[in-house]
Amino acid sequence: MQHRSTWWKTAIGIVLTLIMLFPVYWMINISFTQRRSIRSGDLVPMDFTLDNYTAAFNSQLPYLGTSLIIALGCVIVTLLIALPSSYALAILHIKGRKTLNFLLIVAQMIPAVVMALGFYQIFSDLNLLDTLPGLIVADSTIAVPFAVMLLTGFMTGMPRSLIEAAQIDGASQWTVFTRIVIPLSRNTIVTTSLFSFLWAWSDFMFASTLDSGGGKMRPITMGIYDFIGSQNQEWGPMMATAVLASVPTALLLIVAQKYVAAGVTAGAIKD
Amino acid sequence: MSTTQTHAPKPAKRIKPTTWAAIGFAAPLIIYMLVFYVSPLVQNISMSLHRYTRRTFVTGEAPWTGLDVYKEVVSTPEFWTTLRQTLIFVVLSIVFQYSIGLALAVFFNQNFKLSAGLRGAFLVPWLLPPMISGTIWQWMMDADSGLVNNLLGVFGLDPVWWLQADKSLWAVIIANIWLGIPFNLVILYSGLQNINGDLYEAASLDGCNAWQRFWKITFPLLKPVTMITLLLGFVYTLRTVDIIWIMTKGTGTSRTLATWAYEMAFGKGTSATIKYSEASVVGTILILVALAFALIYLWAQGKEEER
Amino acid sequence: MTNSTSRRALAFVVAAAAVMSLAACGGSSSAKDDKTIEFWDPYPQKTADSSWQAFVEKCAPDGYTVKRVGYAQSDLLNNLTTAVKANNAPEIALIDNPKMPTAVDAGLVTDIKAAGVDVSGYDENIEGPGIVDGVQYGVSYGSNALGLYYNPTVLQKAGVDPASITDWDSLNAAIEKVVNAGFKGITFAGISGEEGTFQFLPWFWGAGGKLADASGSTAEQDALDLVSGWVQKGWAPKSVATDNQSAAWDLFLTGEYGFSENGSWQAESAAQEGYEMIPIPGKDGGVAPVPTGGEFITIPTQKNMSDEKLAATVKVIECLVDGDNLKSLNDEMVYLAAKSDVRAEQVKENEVWKPWVKIVESASGRTTDVGLKYEDISAQLSEDLQAALNKA
Repeated sequence: MQHRSTWWKTAIGIVLTLIMLFPVYWMINISFTQRRSIRSGDLVPMDFTLDNYTAAFNSQLPYLGTSLIIALGCVIVTLLIALPSSYALAILHIKGRKTLNFLLIVAQMIPAVVMALGFYQIFSDLNLLDTLPGLIVADSTIAVPFAVMLLTGFMTGMPRSLIEAAQIDGASQWTVFTRIVIPLSRNTIVTTSLFSFLWAWSDFMFASTLDSGGGKMRPITMGIYDFIGSQNQEWGPMMATAVLASVPTALLLIVAQKYVAAGVTAGAIKD
Repeated sequence: MSTTQTHAPKPAKRIKPTTWAAIGFAAPLIIYMLVFYVSPLVQNISMSLHRYTRRTFVTGEAPWTGLDVYKEVVSTPEFWTTLRQTLIFVVLSIVFQYSIGLALAVFFNQNFKLSAGLRGAFLVPWLLPPMISGTIWQWMMDADSGLVNNLLGVFGLDPVWWLQADKSLWAVIIANIWLGIPFNLVILYSGLQNINGDLYEAASLDGCNAWQRFWKITFPLLKPVTMITLLLGFVYTLRTVDIIWIMTKGTGTSRTLATWAYEMAFGKGTSATIKYSEASVVGTILILVALAFALIYLWAQGKEEER
Repeated sequence: MTNSTSRRALAFVVAAAAVMSLAACGGSSSAKDDKTIEFWDPYPQKTADSSWQAFVEKCAPDGYTVKRVGYAQSDLLNNLTTAVKANNAPEIALIDNPKMPTAVDAGLVTDIKAAGVDVSGYDENIEGPGIVDGVQYGVSYGSNALGLYYNPTVLQKAGVDPASITDWDSLNAAIEKVVNAGFKGITFAGISGEEGTFQFLPWFWGAGGKLADASGSTAEQDALDLVSGWVQKGWAPKSVATDNQSAAWDLFLTGEYGFSENGSWQAESAAQEGYEMIPIPGKDGGVAPVPTGGEFITIPTQKNMSDEKLAATVKVIECLVDGDNLKSLNDEMVYLAAKSDVRAEQVKENEVWKPWVKIVESASGRTTDVGLKYEDISAQLSEDLQAALNKA
């Protein structure tokens, strides 16, 4: 495609992004506002303060680290389970894959409440309550069915000629899987990783049921709860915490997105 | 478990080496599902067939009721109202999330300056804890001083009492569409990325304009991705609790089957009484609705493969 | 699937996950030992480095440690339910007072007097909710209460004398004057659920209502007409139907409102802003009874707790409410103590408390008379309130 002038597309893109991110802006706005003005509806923080950030910095940083470990751990567990099985479902055409697909959909519909209650009992027996590995595994149950379905979907559409060619050359299933299928699925892998990261990052149900006693080893979604008393909610520090939590991850996301855009199509099609 | 037996190899038949490999590759998932999903699922169904209260939950002496609780739940007028609201919530959310997400995906697929960064920024709403984004929407839709009403005022429109019982369904739908756009955008965008660019070149040569190219090439080729996006969107919207709960506590028309189950399971609605069994019944009904949709999906997928 | 296979499989997956998730960072194990006394409270805002945490930990008897966990108020009882079922309950839990009959009915808590805790000398009205069928299941160390805060600046500009507010009519007249002077009227929490009912009860009781015969009573109708009237006349914000008490206070803090029905826990914040408080008036005058608010210290049900550990647990509880500690505890929570001499000390030390004493002393427990039935009564009141507030 030839490069025409695209500044107007950029302009539209910026406007759309601004509309989409308005609630995010509002969060930032409130995070700089004193409590007495948070409901005044000023478009910029007129009643400016940095106290909310002081409060957030003083108490919330450990939770950020914990959240990061949990979210990354969840990505790894999800991929370890989902990648090989998607290969089996999409490329190896394992028998009963329709049943499996069907069960995956059902799995996603089990109410989170029921899942959490079930896990509590098992985790209590295994001494996994209030531990990071426990929470990572629990969080991964949100992402695994999704990851399998998405990866299977994309692997099914993969050019079979590549795989058949490799098999004729005598490559083992493992080689085909690691050398051909995984590199070709890079785009989808990044997408599923993003979502499993985000789900683990924002999970509250599992964290509150399975990791309440985790102390500093609790995720940020629980840390924010420290600002919620029985009768009093400190929105300023909560918003400040949410800003602190989202800025580094937002940068991470944008970088990941750039990476996807950069090379994948070229890699997939030119080979 | 009957489900594993259906796809476990029959001992009488010879198993090909590839089948063994397939089983090997699928084994982690199969084990994972048996361990993590089967027991909660069984527990859910079992709870719906017993009379569980907070006390019988603790003592483990819940009496067997068979389908009584199902009959009770289905015979309340609330059930049908809630079902109707749930369907409106799900259908409208999905229609708008998908079409806006698709339009944005096509737009961002044009690789203009900053497109990758802006597309990444669209995911940022997902980084906000639901507690935060729900509250911000609640404030923005405040009847007296909310920004949405202020904006309407700029265009000379009357303020709307968004969170009032009979309008709250629209309020939560709008917030939920906002929440769902990033998901649709990202998945549809990666679908677009997998479409061979040469096809467009060829179409361009054939004199197709952008609109024709979209309907003749992009949309048909995107069909598998569309199907999976709609299916997942359906499932996730059906089970949405957070955003509704934080904005309205599921009061008035904004109550859906999912929030209803949540309030009964935790005793967080108007009533503090825990109704585990009723919640499980609604949970099971939700699973059945999803199953129906899944069957449609698999049927459509089968047709797609036949072609 | 047998339990042991499922566990082995789970253990396998978990082990894999553990290796993956940076083993070095590990996790804090919750394995309970004989020398740890677990303590649950609904004060998550008190962080690990708070004076409250130090206060609780200092109460550990020799050879024991106290492990404190803070839950959101709305989650604590549910978490306790699951924990008791899994025989994993804490040794001490602080339960919100209207939930006491529920906790007792579900068998979550035990007779605290029989365990050896001294329960004498506390105010009857505050302890009421913890006594079910003559058995005392918890000690309430203090109570908060509801009052009618006002913004003196606004009232002055509107020409309203707060002393003139003695009944509902004079209150309505005062709010009307405030609104006519260009300000906004009153904020309160009408949110669905117990929090909204809590704020509605003073109006209901102030109109002569009885919980045993609440729904459909004249008193209920009068109180509903009063509060929904404020919304319909534009005196109260439309958001009251979804506002909780914190949100109602946030709105009041904007300085645009004349009045706010809110709790004694805001007394300090009010003093800072120069706001003042009068008791909530009854319909035809007098002070309307408000519900008691606060938590009960309980000993949750354990399948096998050694006598030695029970004795240690009792020691922790007694330490929390003994002598000077009772005052520190209430100061920490911004409650008024459940013993009159300690309350007197609190007032002596901090003037802010003065107007609250009378209110706390005439407050009623929500569940004292109706017990477990309160759940249904409260739910019905909440539904009626929601319906009334949402009328356009």
